[in-house]
Parts: sequence; structure tokens; C-alpha cells
Amino acid sequence: MNSSELLGGNEVKRTPTEANGNSSGPRIGVFICHCGSNIAGTVDTSKVREAAEKLPGVVAAKENKYTCSDLGQDEIIAAIKENKVERVVVAACSPRMHEPTFRSCIQEAGLNPYLLQMVNLREQCSWVHSREKDKATEKAIDLVRMGVAKAAKLVPLEAREVPVEQSSLVIGGGVAGIQAALDLAQMGFKVYLVESEPSIGGRMAQLDKTFPTGDCAICILAPKMVELARHPNITLLSYSEVEEVTGFIGSYEVKVRRKARYVVEKKCVGCGVCADSCPVKVDNEFDMGFGKRKAIYVPFPQAVPLKYTIDKDNCIHFKTGKCKACVKACANEAIDHEMEDEIVELKVGTIICATGFDTYVPMKRGVYKYWEYQNVITGLELERLLNASGPTGGHLIRPSDEKTPKRVAFIQCVGSRNKKIGVNYCSRVCCMYSMKNAQIIKEHEPDTEIAVYYNDIRAFGKGFEELYHRVREEYGIEFIRGRPAKLSEDPETNSITIRAEETLLNKITERQFDLIVLATGLQPSEGGKRIGKILSLSLSPDGFFMEAHPKLRPVDTAIDGIYLAGCAQGPKDIPDSVAQAKAAAASAASIMAGKNVKIEPLTALIDESLCVGCGLCEEMCPYGAPEVFESDKGTKAKIVEALCHGCGTCAAACPQKAITANQFTDEQIASEIVSALGGIGVTAEKAKKAAKKAEEA
Amino acid sequence: MREAEKTFISGLREKLVEDKIIDESQLDPDFAKEIVKYGGKDVMTCLQCGNCTGVCPISLKIDYKTRSIIKFCQFGLKKFTLETRWVCATCYRCYEHCPADINPAEVMIALRHIAIREGVIPPFIKMAATNLVKYGQSVKPDPEIERVRKELELGDVPSRDQEYAKVVREINLLVRSTGYDRLIGIESEVKS
Amino acid sequence: MTQYAYFFGCIIPNRYPGIEYAVRWVCGSEGFDLDVADIKEFSCCPVPGIFYSSDKNTWLLLAARNLTLAQNERREILTVCNGCLTSLLKATEYLTDPKSLGKVNRVLSQIGRKYTGIPRKTEGRRRIMEPVKVRHFVDVMINDVGLESIAERTKKPLKNIRAAVHYGCHYLRPTENQTIDDPNDPVNIDKIIETCGATSVEYEDKLDCCGAGGGVRSHVVELANSLTEDKCRNIAEVGADCIVTGCPFCLLQFDNAQKSFTKEGIPAMHVSQFQALAMGIDPISLGFDTHHVSAHSFLRKLRGT
Repeated sequence: MNSSELLGGNEVKRTPTEANGNSSGPRIGVFICHCGSNIAGTVDTSKVREAAEKLPGVVAAKENKYTCSDLGQDEIIAAIKENKVERVVVAACSPRMHEPTFRSCIQEAGLNPYLLQMVNLREQCSWVHSREKDKATEKAIDLVRMGVAKAAKLVPLEAREVPVEQSSLVIGGGVAGIQAALDLAQMGFKVYLVESEPSIGGRMAQLDKTFPTGDCAICILAPKMVELARHPNITLLSYSEVEEVTGFIGSYEVKVRRKARYVVEKKCVGCGVCADSCPVKVDNEFDMGFGKRKAIYVPFPQAVPLKYTIDKDNCIHFKTGKCKACVKACANEAIDHEMEDEIVELKVGTIICATGFDTYVPMKRGVYKYWEYQNVITGLELERLLNASGPTGGHLIRPSDEKTPKRVAFIQCVGSRNKKIGVNYCSRVCCMYSMKNAQIIKEHEPDTEIAVYYNDIRAFGKGFEELYHRVREEYGIEFIRGRPAKLSEDPETNSITIRAEETLLNKITERQFDLIVLATGLQPSEGGKRIGKILSLSLSPDGFFMEAHPKLRPVDTAIDGIYLAGCAQGPKDIPDSVAQAKAAAASAASIMAGKNVKIEPLTALIDESLCVGCGLCEEMCPYGAPEVFESDKGTKAKIVEALCHGCGTCAAACPQKAITANQFTDEQIASEIVSALGGIGVTAEKAKKAAKKAEEA
Repeated sequence: MREAEKTFISGLREKLVEDKIIDESQLDPDFAKEIVKYGGKDVMTCLQCGNCTGVCPISLKIDYKTRSIIKFCQFGLKKFTLETRWVCATCYRCYEHCPADINPAEVMIALRHIAIREGVIPPFIKMAATNLVKYGQSVKPDPEIERVRKELELGDVPSRDQEYAKVVREINLLVRSTGYDRLIGIESEVKS
Repeated sequence: MTQYAYFFGCIIPNRYPGIEYAVRWVCGSEGFDLDVADIKEFSCCPVPGIFYSSDKNTWLLLAARNLTLAQNERREILTVCNGCLTSLLKATEYLTDPKSLGKVNRVLSQIGRKYTGIPRKTEGRRRIMEPVKVRHFVDVMINDVGLESIAERTKKPLKNIRAAVHYGCHYLRPTENQTIDDPNDPVNIDKIIETCGATSVEYEDKLDCCGAGGGVRSHVVELANSLTEDKCRNIAEVGADCIVTGCPFCLLQFDNAQKSFTKEGIPAMHVSQFQALAMGIDPISLGFDTHHVSAHSFLRKLRGT
């Protein structure tokens, strides 16, 4: 049987570039590795070499103890030159180990690097059949025969190089985005930072102090924010949204919508007179609804850029056309109610997605009664109450009567580690931020009684265990192991009773508190979800963006040129976000530093004459490489090579058999199958008979 | 239970009781699997957070903790669970609040199945089952109530209806086919 | 028009016939005139606290038998008891598993029965088998009859009555089966009470268990009564005239437990009885004499004396 019969007669396809060579096929060299005793200890390599010498097309068959060594590679090069070898088969370890090594090796000898076929005699033969030496040797001979059959069908391929724009887009202006932008700018690349809020700073700007050291969050962040704004290599596009991204690594085309501030940025000096004169007061989102801001506002005093923004939904001028209080007050005539959104088009080489997180919002009528009782607040709300530039100037008050609470309870694992609501992960930071906040409360009001209701305490990082020790010993904060089952409110005092089973006491207890803080968990941000769809990023089961490899590639995504940083990839604290941002910047820089990036030619190819434009390939591809388009011959599809990873899914799916996967063409694979079944001389009937015999035996 | 007396220097006496330490001989290693067999979801995923005990109306009243029962099941301490299998009201509050998605009420049901198969059968089960195979209903008819029914012109209770004998026969057949009568010990009541 | 079949269970016919009368009256020609039939071959649902607890196989068989009766008549089962609701509804869930279904049908064939579900025609020639529908009385009142119709038929609004609603555990949970009402904030029975002209009072721990279920009343009656005592204390604190519930077993518990801790009990009644009163029924037909806690003061208040 030959591959035509296998493929069904007339349907043998030939790729356009397949060279037929001479009638007896290309000259093949086979190099069998001992790998010390890894292969030779089980497989009789001399028998394999003898069998290989007899295979059709083989002009040289050699053995070597360590083929990947310099000596071994030199031997290959010498053999290629001596025997005028045109295709190389290396029977050794897994291609994931040394395929690149041998490709460069044969390239040195003057051959196209893709005329290499590796046969795995180690992981897939000697290591798994170490107790059956004879059978292992037989299998090795079969594998080499298959490798030789495929090598005969290999064709030279050329890697392409595409230029890489020396600029990067960073989406999200939190601490991760800021750090990544600064690092890239420092390395000399141009950076565009797009942030949807009027100011950068993200969640870190909302925090009071950070754990475990108690550094003031905005104090350590603001210098970075200012540095970013002043950096000549960084263009800060605040109050803007990414609308569309097309292209591939090295040349991404991005459309950014700059939302209208109704304040001309160049003219605004941030004096604040407009806000003083504005008559409209609304809840301040930055303060989690606790404080008020005007309709014309900056989100917080240390905002970067320090430019005012008009909230269109609440500004009277937009509703009735009257009220020009801010216009009159502004000395620089910076206010322009007629302003419109602007679309900016960018071309960048790499993208870093640092879209951050939102916090879990407890459900209505749930156990914790967040919406029903005033004195139940979340962790982020507590941060704003404790913050010196927050709505209460840093004094902790109970929302119901604005008095100082004497007894505070923290409830951990709210919106995390709960299968019932579908959030299976741990949010990683809540144990520590509750401890840190408890410490801050105690420092302000040493008489406060504080209890932390926990399930497990996770104090894993540097300095974390020390903080855990301090809050218990020095500050006397009580840790209660138990999940609160019921919260009830005293209607007169608004103090709240928590009923829980204290599992370490083995008793059900009821304790009263003035203020309850829910340590709410982290969730993927809503804005981030939108960006994920625009960039076609995959999500992990927990809803955060999926990294390319959980252990070894934590900042890469499946799409080359797009990187992740910060909580967009998963819950983490500030040092981890910064580290990841630096890693993402370095990864992006490594691509841009080369000025060009090589696109491996092991991609898919569509034969337009066979393509009917059904779009199945576009649906199946996990990388977004196929594109359906209208040509003058009708609807067709083409593969964007730079996005293609050569997985072969589209080639397998195409009902018209119009797609070829380079180096895994139908004919190449068929030749391997045919030779696996015994090679030349075995007809289809003979193979069937043999199989039947084996079954009956 | 052995008791040993030991006198300390100052004259204190301390009784050493054998059962204070639980060792492996008291554990039943396959208990958790047995519970899954009778419908309790895998108890090994329980984190022992105590939420179930906190919401349980029975745990408030008696020396019983839902969480402890699950722990004993995890650990294999079968005998510790024997006394309290019949106090669960199956209100399902524990299931609603459990973050690990375990159904402690179903675990109690599984424990009841195991208890019955070991011969621990509370009398009210026997009584209700007997009523079922005799009258087709778990509750015996009451002559006083039947009088009221007559006044209200509601007709007889089903079990007094002649036609209902067929239903009772069907029920007897079903009960016999699953071996329930043997399980509960009401073979004598079941008519063939 | 939806077709139903009455499922009264064991307690109502044998202990509280007044409820049976009320339900028949409300659903019959003098009430909303629903298409409800009597299936005389219904047996005990079977009681979840006894049979589901002792042998699930037997429970499923008995429940499946009841379901086949409704299935053959192509009727939805109209239950008036939380326990029957949970037992039959759970059975329909279990029977969606082909293995269990096969086992059950093999035994049912011995009595000439088979559970298949009710066929529903779709476009084309495909037929989908839907599980037999099991409905609670309150569910039917709210969703099929509608509050507007109830309001229309409220001839004697119970204006000065303060009713404390007890939903009962198996009406609210487990939520994967029961979705009639929000388990943390149920409103259906309150709405019926209000439509009947009365006030539904809020009391502490309204959603707590009465204590009777799961075999607790039969096994440790003091424990059950202790839970009921807590509930009754909270209800008495807000000055309710009566307790209205959707489950006769909860009703039985309230009715029997109160004498162990108080002299002046609060009368308990079923939703159907309450509704029937609002619709103008003669109270004598509601069989309040079979209740252990006297309803005299309640009825007097009703009459305005």
C-alpha cells in the first residue's frame, strides 16, 4: 500500500511548494543516538543502524554516544557533507529537548533547517519499555522506518521575519500598568498607557496603608505616577478606552477612544475653583460612596493627571442647558461643554494587559446583610474610612450614627472559597489586609476590641507571619475560627450580633459588635472583561486571564506579543503585581529589542482554490489566526501567519481539505502511517488479514 | 475500660482512663465511602468551617454539632455518630449555606440508612411502615375525625374505601420487592 | 386550562379534614373552579422523614407509583403539604437518571405500571417526555390563579386580622429543587394574606424551622417542642392573631406543641382555610374543632365581636 491508496486515490494532495526531487527520492542520513545508556541500555542501537542502512533512500546511518554534544554535531555535519545528505533523521530524545539544536546544526552544514525529522527513541521507547529490550529494539526499528518515510517527504521551509514597532501599549493605569510602563520607557521604548478612569493609580491609590510594613499606599505610588506623567517616552491617555485592536505581534493597530472631559487638558491647571463653585453634589465612587464630590471633579487630591473632569450624567448644564458656574469661575477658560470624544489610532509592537480587579459585592438578602444593615461594610470601604484623605479624614466611624466603634469584627472569606456562589479560589490578600487594617484601627483607638472570624489564615509572604504574630501579641486581636452563620441587628443601637460556631471552642457563640467589616475577595474587573474580548484573551476557570503556562510562562498569553501583569491574571498583592509588571515589561522588551521577530514557518496554509469560505477554521482556531474575507472569487479564508501556532486544528477540521499544515501535510503523515504498517510490500488486504490473525491468536 | 490509679507525690490521685486517646483500632477506614454510597456527597471536602452548625436549629438546642458529625465521618469514628442520627430535622439550611457544597442533611440521611442496616430501628419508623402496609397511609384513621368528615360530607378516608384494598396490595408488593419489610422487621404485617 | 389532581397526603384526611374541605371549596365550583380531579389510588407520598430516611429505594418506588397515577391521567399533582411536595418533587429529579428509572420501572411492571413522564409534542415529529409536574397549592394560587383573581373573590376581607406566616423548611429549601420563592425572602404566602385583606406581620426569625420534620417530632418530641416554643414566643411578641402555614405537618406541630409551654395558644391554620374565610365560607365548614388550640378568639375577632 502506498500513501495514495491510504489517502483514497485521487485525493492525494500536493502542496504547491513540494519539490519532487529526483525519481529515487532525496538522500537521507540517519543518526542514532545512544544518549549514554539512556537509549543504548535498552535498545540495541547497532541493530537499529543495520536496519536503517537497508531503508530506501538512506545513504548514511551512524551511531553516536551523545549526538547533541559538539562532537556529535560535528559528526553529523561531516556525514552530511561527505554523503551529500539532503534530509536528516536524528533518532534520539524528545524533539522538545534538542530539535532546535539539530536544526541549527544541519543549517550549519548548509541544509534548510526544516529538513530535519526527529524520532523519539528515549521518552517514547527506551524509557517506557526498559524491561523489554527485544521489543523495544523492534519498536525503535519501526519508529526509525517511519521517520525515514516522512523525511523523504519533507520540503524546505523559510522562516519569515516581521518588523516590530518599537512601542508598546499598556492597558490599565494601576500599580502594575504604571510599573510596566516605566520600565519599558526606561529601556527606551515608546509607551502608550490607556486608563479608563480620569486618573491613574487604580486600586492601590484607594488603599490606606499596605501590608506587611504599613507603608502609606498613595505615598509610595504617587512619585511613580508623577514620574510616569513626566516621562518623555510615555504618552498618558487617561479617561480613555481601548475600542479595537487588530493585527499581530510587532504591528498591532489600536483604536483608543479619548472620552470627553469637557475640560481642555492643556488649559486646566488643577486649581479646583470650578469644583468649589459647582452646585451639584454626588456620591464619590473613589470613596466607595461614602463621601461626596461635585459634578466637576478630580477623583482624589493626588490625581495624575491633575485635570478636572465633568461627570456628564450629573452636570446640570447637560440636563437643562443652564448653569455655567464652573465656566465663570475658571480663570483659564478651560471648560468646554461642547467637547466631543476623540478617536486616536496607534500602532504598537506589543501590548501589556494590566486591567486589575473589582471587589466582590455581597448579595442582597444574603447572610452578611450588607445591603440591609448600615454597619456592615466591605474591606475597600474600610480603607477609605481609615485613609487620611478619605471622607472622614481617617477617623473610623460607624455609618449608622457616625460614632467611633468600640467593637469591630472582621469576617474573612466573603466571596472567596465558596462553591455555592461559584467562586472556588482564594483571593490571597484578604487575610493580610484584615490584619493590617485591624492593626491600624488599634493604633488609632487602642481600646477597640477586634475579632477576626476566619476559616484559615494565609500568611505566606515575606514579613506576613511576623505581622500575624504582632497583631495577636502586641495588639491583642482575637482570631476566631468559625464562619458566621447569622447576623442580626439591634434596632435601637444598630449594633450587630454575630452567631457562629467557634470550631476551636466547640461551642456556638453570639457576640456583639458595633461595626462589621467583610473581607471581600477579588474578582476579574468588568472593564477587563471587555478588554479581554477585544484582545481575544482566554480565561482561566476562575475568570481571570489565562497565562500561557501556569508554571513557566506566567506573564505570557497564548497570543504572541500580548502580556499580562497584575491582578488581571489573578489575585495578588502589590509586590507580586510589581514583579509581574517588570516581568511583562522585560518580555515585551525582548521582542522589541530584536527589532524583528521570527515567525516560525510551521504554520497552516489555505489553498484558496479549494476554500469555500465556510468559516469553520475561524471558529476552531484558539489563536484567531484564520480570517474570512471577501475576494473577487467569493468568500475565502486566509491564515494570518504571525498568529498561527501550527496546531493543525483547522487543517483537520476543514471539510474541503483546503488547509495544509506545513511539515504535517496529509501526505507526510500518511507516509508515516503506511510505513508503520510494514511499509512497501504490504497491501491493504494483507494488512487486514494480519490484523485478523492477531485477533484470533 | 481499664482504670488505673496513680498516686503523685503530693497525694493527688489521678485516674487513668483508657479511652482518652483515640487510636486506629477505633476507626472505620471506609466510613466516608459508605456514606457516599447512601447518597451523602463526599464528606472529605469539608473544611470544618462551622457554618452548618451555626445555622442548624437542632445544634442550638442540644449537645450536637453538625460540623462534628461530618468530622467524625471524615475521620471514621462511626460509633461517635450513633447516638445523634435521628435528631436532624432535614431543614436543609446547612446545605444552603455550605461553602464546600456538601449536604450535611443528606449525610444524616445516609447515617440513618447505615444505622437501620445495622439493626438500629427507632419504633416510630416501624409504626409508620406498619401503617403504610396496612392502610396505605402512614397515619392510622381516627374515628373522631371520621365523624367530622361525615359531618362535612367529605366521604370516607381512603383506607376505608373497599376499592383501596387494591392500592394496599400494590404497596405490599412494592415493599416486599425491595426487601423493606425484612429490613424494618414488619414481615408479619405484609400480606402477599 | 391546566389539569390538576388533588394530593392530600396522610395528615389532612386523617387529622385535619377542615383543610380538605377548604381546599376543595377554594378550587371547586364555589371558588376558582379549577379543573381538579380526585385520584383515589394515591397513597402516602411517602413521608420523607420516615421512608427517605430509612430506604431510598423503597421511597422512590412508592413515590414513582404515585407519579404514574398522575401521569396516566396527564394531570399535574396539586399538593397541599410541604412534605408531599418535597417527596414527589425529589422523586421526579431522581427519575431523570436513566439507571434509577430502569430499576424503578422493572419493579413497577410487577403491578402493571411504568413511569415515563408526560409526553409533550414539539414541532416536527419529536416528542419530549417531561417529568410529571408537582405543584404546591400556594404556587398554583400565585402563578396560575393570580392575585388579581384572588382579590376579586375576596368577599369578606379579614380587615382586622394580624396573621403570622410560617413558610416551613421544605417550601423554601433545597433551592436546587424548589424555586417557588426566594429562600431568604419569601413573599408568596404574605401576598395571599394581604390580598385577603389581612396584615401579614413580621416577626423575629420568621424563617426558622418548626421542629417537627425529619422524624424529630416522632423521635424526640421535647426537642421539636422547644423549637416551636421559640417560634411561638416571637409570634406572640408581635401580637399575631393566628399562624398561617402551607404545611399540615407544621400545623400539627404548632397545634400540638403549644399546650406544653403555654395556656393561651395561638391558633394555627392552613393557607387554604384562611383564604376560604376571606372568600366567604362559613367557618363551621373549616373543622376548627379538630384543632387542639382553640380558634374561638380568632373567630370572634373575625366576626367583629
